[in-house]
Amino acid sequence: MRVLTLAGRRLAASIPTLILILVGVFLLLQLAPGDTVDALMAQMGGGDAATARQLREFYGLDLSVWAQLGNYLWRLVRLDLGFSAIYGKPVATVIAERLPATILLMTASLSFAFFFGLLLGVVAARGVNKWPDTLISTLGLMFYAMPTFWFGLMAIVVFSIYLQWLPAGGFEDITVSYTGLRRTLDIALHLILPTLTLGLFYMAIYLRIMRGSMLEVLNLDFVRTARSKGMDETRVVVRHVLRNALLPMVTLIGLQAGTMLGGSVVVESVFSLPGLGRLAYESVIQRDLNTLLGIIFVSALLVIAVNFIVDLLYARLDPRITAGS
Amino acid sequence: MDLVKRYLRSPAAVIGLLLLVLVLAMAATADLFYPRDPLALAGRPLIWPFSNPRFLLGTDNSGRDIAAQIFHGARISLLIGGVATAISIMIGITIGAFAGYYGAFVDTALMRVTEAFQTLPNFLLLLVLVAVFGSTLTTVTIAIGIVSWPASARLTRAEFLSLRNREFVQAGRTLGLRDARLIFGEILPNALPPVIVYASVVMAIAILLESALAFLKLSDPNVASWGNLIGAGRDVLRVQWYVSAIPGIAILITVLAVSLVGQGLNDALNPRLKRR
Amino acid sequence: MDMTRRAALRTSAAIASSVLFPMRSFGQETPRRGGVFTVHYGAEQRQLNPSLQASTGVYIIGGKIQEQLVDLDAKGQPVGVLAESWEAAPDGRTITFKLRSGVTWHDGKPFTSADVQFTAMEMWKKILNYGTTLQLFLTAVDTPDPLTAVFRYERPMPLNLLLRALPDLGYVSPRHLYEGKGDIRQNPVNLAPVGTGPFRFVQYERGQHVIAERNPNYWRANAPYLDRIVWRVVTDRAAAAAQMEAGQIHYSPFSGLTISDSARLGKDPRFIVSTKGNEGNARTNTIEFNFRRKELADIRVRRAIAHALDIPFFIENFLGDFAKRGTGPIPSVSTDFYPADNGPQYPFDKKLAASLLDEAGLKPGAGGTRFSLRLLPAPWGEDITLFATFIQQSLADVGIKVEIVRTDGGGYLKQVYDEHAFDLATGWHQYRNDPAVSTTVWYRSGQPKGAPWTNQWGWTDPAIDKIIDDAATEVDPARRKALYGDFVRRANTELPIWTPIEQIFLTAISAKARNHSNTPRWGSSSWHDLWLAE
Repeated sequence: MRVLTLAGRRLAASIPTLILILVGVFLLLQLAPGDTVDALMAQMGGGDAATARQLREFYGLDLSVWAQLGNYLWRLVRLDLGFSAIYGKPVATVIAERLPATILLMTASLSFAFFFGLLLGVVAARGVNKWPDTLISTLGLMFYAMPTFWFGLMAIVVFSIYLQWLPAGGFEDITVSYTGLRRTLDIALHLILPTLTLGLFYMAIYLRIMRGSMLEVLNLDFVRTARSKGMDETRVVVRHVLRNALLPMVTLIGLQAGTMLGGSVVVESVFSLPGLGRLAYESVIQRDLNTLLGIIFVSALLVIAVNFIVDLLYARLDPRITAGS
Repeated sequence: MDLVKRYLRSPAAVIGLLLLVLVLAMAATADLFYPRDPLALAGRPLIWPFSNPRFLLGTDNSGRDIAAQIFHGARISLLIGGVATAISIMIGITIGAFAGYYGAFVDTALMRVTEAFQTLPNFLLLLVLVAVFGSTLTTVTIAIGIVSWPASARLTRAEFLSLRNREFVQAGRTLGLRDARLIFGEILPNALPPVIVYASVVMAIAILLESALAFLKLSDPNVASWGNLIGAGRDVLRVQWYVSAIPGIAILITVLAVSLVGQGLNDALNPRLKRR
Repeated sequence: MDMTRRAALRTSAAIASSVLFPMRSFGQETPRRGGVFTVHYGAEQRQLNPSLQASTGVYIIGGKIQEQLVDLDAKGQPVGVLAESWEAAPDGRTITFKLRSGVTWHDGKPFTSADVQFTAMEMWKKILNYGTTLQLFLTAVDTPDPLTAVFRYERPMPLNLLLRALPDLGYVSPRHLYEGKGDIRQNPVNLAPVGTGPFRFVQYERGQHVIAERNPNYWRANAPYLDRIVWRVVTDRAAAAAQMEAGQIHYSPFSGLTISDSARLGKDPRFIVSTKGNEGNARTNTIEFNFRRKELADIRVRRAIAHALDIPFFIENFLGDFAKRGTGPIPSVSTDFYPADNGPQYPFDKKLAASLLDEAGLKPGAGGTRFSLRLLPAPWGEDITLFATFIQQSLADVGIKVEIVRTDGGGYLKQVYDEHAFDLATGWHQYRNDPAVSTTVWYRSGQPKGAPWTNQWGWTDPAIDKIIDDAATEVDPARRKALYGDFVRRANTELPIWTPIEQIFLTAISAKARNHSNTPRWGSSSWHDLWLAE
């Protein structure tokens, strides 16, 4: 119950931020050259003046900006995200269709980055300044400095074109309609390269933090005492070091939730995944205001939710902090 | 001098510096080695690297010399990275300084805005800005600056919060110094070092952001940018993968150099920060 | 490995032409029933009903599900589909269609003249792009009996214009699913279309795939052969080529692959890469001049720009043998209207270009630059991007500095056709079988501001206006053709836009397909006779 109250309070506190974002983007897009009807005509590859005029009336684009904004916010109050001009269905439906791929990709990448960042960080710190450390740290730096989409392209060249081990793109193989476990496996196979592409950058960051915190903690008095008392090294690492090092890593997840969503725009475009990021890109290009605002709304909620969970985790990891404060 | 010595003690920092010098040298000598417009038609399209001595790194799918674009691209990447970082840090410092110095209502309002910028995925905002204001070098650079300031604002604010009640500030207040003087003349210089170090992170991200935009074909097509070359190479990726691979390595080296130098500076500055 | 694109394209063209008309060599084969045909679907549209939207992105799916009154046969001549015969009154104001009997919609209801009447009046005339212009003077469609539809026009309608336009602009929708069901554009049937065609709609997963299955009650005997068609949504063109090679896609229509991938697949015996079957989808690459720039209002400058571009070089090195030199607004594949004399052409001549610019008083200044221009390339295709770069490179050689302005589709149409914020623009002009459908609006003055793909160049020419107007209502085919010859020569003389390259869409298709590419708009057609060999 307490968690729910906290969540409610947190959400209420974020409302001004949300409104600020939505109104800001709405007004910004009014300045864009061309509207959704121009984009529609471009998509059709042909059309005449009468068609354009009719479509503008149809989508309510002949109203004043303030009337359009008012309409939008009033609908939002009633939790209605509106109707998508490109997709011809309610925005909520469009987003619901695209959300799974993105959530799957982000969760997989984050887990991958977290797990391997942690593991490699520990290995590096324990062999500090020896060759495993040098190797891991150098690789980490490379992954950090590499443009993600470039890694994706090169991975396609190597793994899909030359070795032909993994599919070059798509979410699943739809010519053969798999079900159950076979389908899960098929999707997993399609997500390996995108997960690596999106995750390696974050893994590099987690690795660095983990290594740093490990080194710091290993030199603290109580750890030294524990070690000198002959405690099992693994237990020392797990009990003391990990707990302390996890704090900054968890904090970072909260900070990077938004960045990661942005990164998925490029990754989904490289691997033609039907996710939210590509939808966002398309709706900017198509000037589909309702869809874009819907995505921004949903992704802002997502970021707020992730941060809330991070705070809860934080409180568990560090008893000095309470989630309420 | 002490700082230089401490910096040079780290091999990683030295390697970073050498790489940075290399990239700077490429930018500086671009006109010397490749005096022609790097976007001009140089020869047949899609000549493989090392197969024609005239085009050491081959040509792209528009028949432009890749090596010339790599050299001239160094300028563009450094320019975009540098200017966008300056913009970003300037916005960040101003907002962070005011929020941290005045606190209360000003702080709440400015932090709300910061929060809004942090909640909105920055690449998404960048896409919107470029779609609205167009894909020229200027707009792309400014847009990158606009989407990447929040972290430095938070950093500055934290520094200001811890500094604003220090003795030297109190002393300034009793002397009747104006707020602007206190903020920019007294507190800021002390709050600056961590922000400057953070600038290397911003610069690395700025270069990566531009390349991602270019990859989506949303950057300025009139300049020889590495990202543009990767984007163009995508159409011929399956066979002529080198068109995308070469500029990717250039970006990797540059970002690596900037990060290593930033890291080295941070380590070199750290003891002093602790002493303060 | 080290093979230039030019050589690659040559080889692929040679192979493509050697396997041209594959159905001839397989003529004795017995068509095989069954199989799933997979199609690359690159550009998803907002809806799938071809009565409401004329674009290849709709035809590629909707054209298998719904049918039109008339299609084009292998020789490019009108052939009845839902209409069996037609007749025009001597004054050109009445055109009567006799409809096919025994045709039913996929939901079992009979197809009648009431469907034609409703579709023509409510969809073609009011909503369909280009249809609204074509049917502007349509006053009524009479239905004296269920199998007769009489089109009444306020002004004479040339029968051959209507018959050439109807294959694209003549798809019929079921009246009973639209009438009284609210706004036609919002009707959910648009995303799950119901027609009379050889395939029935099954499912549409946006961003993923569309599926249609065999219509067992199709009116043509023994057709269709395929069990299913699956359209796979793949936006990345390189990925589409990869899926073709992996056997996941049989057919990529309308130049859906990159130029280099098309060349590569053309050399692979598992595929056929050719322009065959797309003759009805010819396009020209254009350069539009904005006359509001005083330099460009000078005919000498426009001609100089044309002379400064080495078009054969560009075609040979960048586009390959599938493109050719364009001669004017009417492409050479238009057998009915292509004139014997196209008027002035502008061969590559850098010296002449320079002297024309000198003559116009535009002497080179510091650094050799005469003046600067903003060029907007349309974001429709790879060839436009390459051409824009080529224009930039070539004009720099004669002292004109070109800045390329990159936009997305909506931004391009807005800036060129509404705000006129361009000096040069380059894109495609799509020729739709008759110049009156979508060609003459590029030249006729008096187009409303903001209307895309129309004359927004700030150029008015009473002479060409008169030719265009006369041709539009001329019912005698020979006189019409002569008028369009005048039109082409005038356009090439005045050069408000230049059409230097002619291209036909490329098809990449699996060598297992039979009876493909056998009509000029095959990608859009119903595929009732298409089958897959083992």
